[in-house]
Amino acid sequence: CDTLSSLNPFDKSDKYTMDTTPDVPNDQLYNDGLGRLQKGDYDAAAKKFQQLEKQAPYSEWAPKALIMETYTRYQQQQWEDTISTAQRYLQRYPNGKDAAYAQYLMAMSSYNQIPDITRDQEAAAKAMESLQVLVNRYPKSEYVADAKKKIQFAKDQLAGNQMEVGRYYLNNRNYTGAINRFRDVVSQYQQTRHVEEALERLAEAYMALGITNEAQTAAAVLGHNFPDSPWYKDAYKLLQSNGLEPREDRGSWISRSFRGLAGAVGLEG
Amino acid sequence: QQDDTGARRARADAVRGGMTVNRVVVEGSKKVEKTALLNELQARPFARVTNATLAADVERIKNIYNRVGRGYADVSYRVVDLPNGRYDVVFTVTEGDKTGVKAINFVGNTNYSSSRLRSLMTTTEMNFLSFFKNSDVYDPDRLASDQELIRRFYLKNGYADFQITSAEAYFDEAQGGYIVTITVDEGPQYRVGNVNVESRMSGLDVSSVEGGVSTSTGDVYNADAVEKSVQAMTNTAAKQGNAFAQVRPVGQRNPETHTVDIGYVVEEGPRVYIERINIRGNTRTRDYVIRREFDLGEGDAYNKVLMDRAERRLNNLGYFKKVRVTNEPGSGPDRVIVNVDVEDQPTGSFSVSGGYSTSDGFIGEVAVTETNFLGRGQYVRVAGSMGQRSKGIDFSFTEPYFLGYRMAAGFDLFSKYSDETKYARYTNRMTGGQIRLGLPITEEVAVTFRYSLYQQEMKIPNTLSEPYNDCTNPIYGTTVLNSDGSPNAYYCQNNGEASLAIKEAVGKTLTSLAGVTLTYNTLDNTRDPRNGLYVEVKPEVAGLGGDSKFFRVTGDARYYRELTDDIVGMVRLQGGHIRAFGGKDLRIVDNFFLGPTLVRGFAPSGIGPRDISTLDSEANAVGGTTYFGGSLEAQFPIPFLPRELGLKGAVFADAGTLFNYEGKTYFPNSSYNTLLEGYSPGSMCSYGNTGTAQNCIKVRDKNVIRSSIGASILWNSPLGPIRFDYAYALSKDDGVKVDGVRYGGDKTQAFRFSGGTRF
Amino acid sequence: CSKIGESYQRGYILDEAALASVKKGTSAEQVLHTLGTPSTVSTVGNKTWYYISENSHRKAQFLPEKTDDRRVTAIYFNSAMRVERTALYGLQDGVVFDFISRSTPAAGVEQNFVGQLFRGLTRFDPITTN
Repeated sequence: CDTLSSLNPFDKSDKYTMDTTPDVPNDQLYNDGLGRLQKGDYDAAAKKFQQLEKQAPYSEWAPKALIMETYTRYQQQQWEDTISTAQRYLQRYPNGKDAAYAQYLMAMSSYNQIPDITRDQEAAAKAMESLQVLVNRYPKSEYVADAKKKIQFAKDQLAGNQMEVGRYYLNNRNYTGAINRFRDVVSQYQQTRHVEEALERLAEAYMALGITNEAQTAAAVLGHNFPDSPWYKDAYKLLQSNGLEPREDRGSWISRSFRGLAGAVGLEG
Repeated sequence: QQDDTGARRARADAVRGGMTVNRVVVEGSKKVEKTALLNELQARPFARVTNATLAADVERIKNIYNRVGRGYADVSYRVVDLPNGRYDVVFTVTEGDKTGVKAINFVGNTNYSSSRLRSLMTTTEMNFLSFFKNSDVYDPDRLASDQELIRRFYLKNGYADFQITSAEAYFDEAQGGYIVTITVDEGPQYRVGNVNVESRMSGLDVSSVEGGVSTSTGDVYNADAVEKSVQAMTNTAAKQGNAFAQVRPVGQRNPETHTVDIGYVVEEGPRVYIERINIRGNTRTRDYVIRREFDLGEGDAYNKVLMDRAERRLNNLGYFKKVRVTNEPGSGPDRVIVNVDVEDQPTGSFSVSGGYSTSDGFIGEVAVTETNFLGRGQYVRVAGSMGQRSKGIDFSFTEPYFLGYRMAAGFDLFSKYSDETKYARYTNRMTGGQIRLGLPITEEVAVTFRYSLYQQEMKIPNTLSEPYNDCTNPIYGTTVLNSDGSPNAYYCQNNGEASLAIKEAVGKTLTSLAGVTLTYNTLDNTRDPRNGLYVEVKPEVAGLGGDSKFFRVTGDARYYRELTDDIVGMVRLQGGHIRAFGGKDLRIVDNFFLGPTLVRGFAPSGIGPRDISTLDSEANAVGGTTYFGGSLEAQFPIPFLPRELGLKGAVFADAGTLFNYEGKTYFPNSSYNTLLEGYSPGSMCSYGNTGTAQNCIKVRDKNVIRSSIGASILWNSPLGPIRFDYAYALSKDDGVKVDGVRYGGDKTQAFRFSGGTRF
Repeated sequence: CSKIGESYQRGYILDEAALASVKKGTSAEQVLHTLGTPSTVSTVGNKTWYYISENSHRKAQFLPEKTDDRRVTAIYFNSAMRVERTALYGLQDGVVFDFISRSTPAAGVEQNFVGQLFRGLTRFDPITTN
């Protein structure tokens, strides 16, 4: 509350005092910033770049200063600041020469916050989204290869999160919840490693419900697309112990979508 | 052409021909943060400004001061040229004093006094405390929400036609503040006409849900009571398995008889199923720790009762700053997606707490606690405490979902040392451990099984400063000796002497104890209860190995009830009994030693049987085997003081007794030189036929009701909760009077302070 | 089941009358209208709709939930999405076995105890200032 400060009799009257700090030339400010960055004095470096950007807002120094400030924040692992300065760069210089790099730094800020699969995967979703923007908008940039790899990892985390919830419901005998969660993984996250386990869990859930033909279909698709996966061996053993064979119904929605995938990935044939 | 002239006028108006600003400064602003002001202004370093934009900035600052209740603030700006050709813009503020709400008047309130209505409002009038509070600042939207509070108050008291016809506030220059006038039209007070319950759901008969209705004919019509009845009936219907049951109140107002007929229609609501439960924002807590608190799963029918129960459970976990459960439409018309937004709060705390309690003196405690260990919901605590008269460390761990079931399994390890005090002439070190398993039976009833194994070591200090055993082994230089070298009975007793019973109990005792705790808990909020009942019964048996063999049961029941909006009443009953078995006598250390926890106003171990065969009977309570106690208390906010100070008052009346010492009073083969024992004039203890003071103690064990009344102040200070109790003992055991000197009376202690802070 | 426990209706709340109205040849829209969205649809290109409903009870809060009975109503459609036949699976059809305990390894920032604890410390704010 404001009582303490008003009681303070020694509050020196904050009169205006004129002070004129001489303007530091642009290039010296920039090198000052770089020097500080090398020494690891991130805050001071960022201040130098901010001052440069303010001092010469329309010169060619401004984009340089802004991208360097983004990089400094990234080194400092201040993810929120990195994202906000990167966004400022992209707004002002959408096709500047470092636009791809700004987008990459922004995406990596979310990417570095991805927690393990038992926690909220919002960071993974955000990282995947901004990495996808990087791939679409700057196809020729040198970060695209790495971005694609990171998208795959982020997708894997999102699938892992779905599997975590699916397994929770399976262990709690809530087969409806489990089946629908594993169906999500099979339909939306086909290229992740979790799809094998998702199919095996579908077989388990349907088997527990007693709907054997569904179990057979799921196991057959698993066998067809991932013949040497340990999960297929488990599914096969499960069906066999109940006198069943994995029998794929060609018309099944899953195998149809997989044939689409198989063709693309060259598994078919 | 038109905007051309506009642009030309702007250029002419530009300051210094459009040069950019070097620096913007605000002078004289104390009440409002400078940076907050600077962010609001258009004038910024390197910006171009015109006199028009600067004038607009002045208005903007004035507006900010207005909202903070400083209507008198005066703002001006000036431009200062700098030698390097650039210029600075300086805003000067003279704040002037506060312009708050001078008076709140009501017109048309016949049934309730203006001060009663004012007490409902959050906006308050300026008074001598204006310096502290800012609730007297004129804030239009706070005034609007106040009107809603008043309307709900009237609705609760039967004024169904109540309306606020007008509420204006004008600034009165003379009084230097706003005058608020609220005119109300109360209308007649309605009573409840007839009440009927009608069920339109097949398979659900009215009698099963009727119990929830709390509005009966003749009562004053109360909108809240109707809402509560609807809620109660929906709950019972849902509990019986019809998840889609929905209760709709229908009010029929007939103005001539000033009565309202209320009909409750039980019908089938929309059949909605949960498609997904999305848990979001859990950056630390793991998904299953939250999901397992829901009795509903994906695919189940949406059931409000179970949803509220889950939200209440999540809040009680204490891992989250906020928990918000919201629904959004799902993929199908009968599908809903439940979003659980949580915000993790750091549950790891490294707390250093200082405090003072009259029994333990100054206490310092360092504790490392993590209530959500690795986000798995496990509780870990390591604490060390140092005090003038007590030291201790303890470690405890709890897994709330042992083996995946809702069973709280945990263990504790502790070592506590309590020094001698002026109420107990012995030191006691207790070291041991306990394992426990908590099983909730229903939402209210829980059973906890406990096994603990601990060792107690009692010693009697016999040093220069604490000569409490010098009758037996005299201390050179302090104990006054007779001519034959034996300690002089009167003097060695006078400097404080432990009772023979306690001397006999010196040494190590191992206790191996198994117990069960039965709890019934319907408190609405465990930390600050306003309504509800908490009952705890703890039967324990010691004797599976170890030295002590006893059966002990203690009980404690507390009933809270909200008497009026802010006053919370509490009734408490407690009792306990301990009995040895297996032929061995009860060890003195297992007795109940009670004081302020039973009846406030008494010193620690100030109540109960006492050995009066020594002069130092004040410090030689020997404990009792049975106790009963009751207390009535009312907590209320202290009037006139603003709520922000966090001060609450309480008045209470306690009564209780501790009696029935069953330990030994005759120690035939005591190794202590007991010739001197029992030498307190007029209260000689004698055994056997010798009639002289043998190895015996005389215990005064009066089953008289001790009672006291008192008041306390509770302060939720920034340093933590602090409580001052003052209690005056009405009735106590005054002890036996011998030659004008009293022995063995209860020890009172009127003032008690306990507090401390955890930061 | 005993009085002190709680009984739950899991999954789809079966309405016998509505179910009786679903006969051979009823259109998919009609089934959707009377029975509502199915609990789950088959992997056979949603040509089979499953309405899974269960009754279970829990004697005491700490005990696991026991399924009393389960009814899975399967509705098979032909290619023209008209009801071909319906089938009923009960609790007795379910196969009881242990699920695979292994799970696909997944990476991510694993919070260690010390880090978490002292992250709490950074909120060390002895006197609330406002």
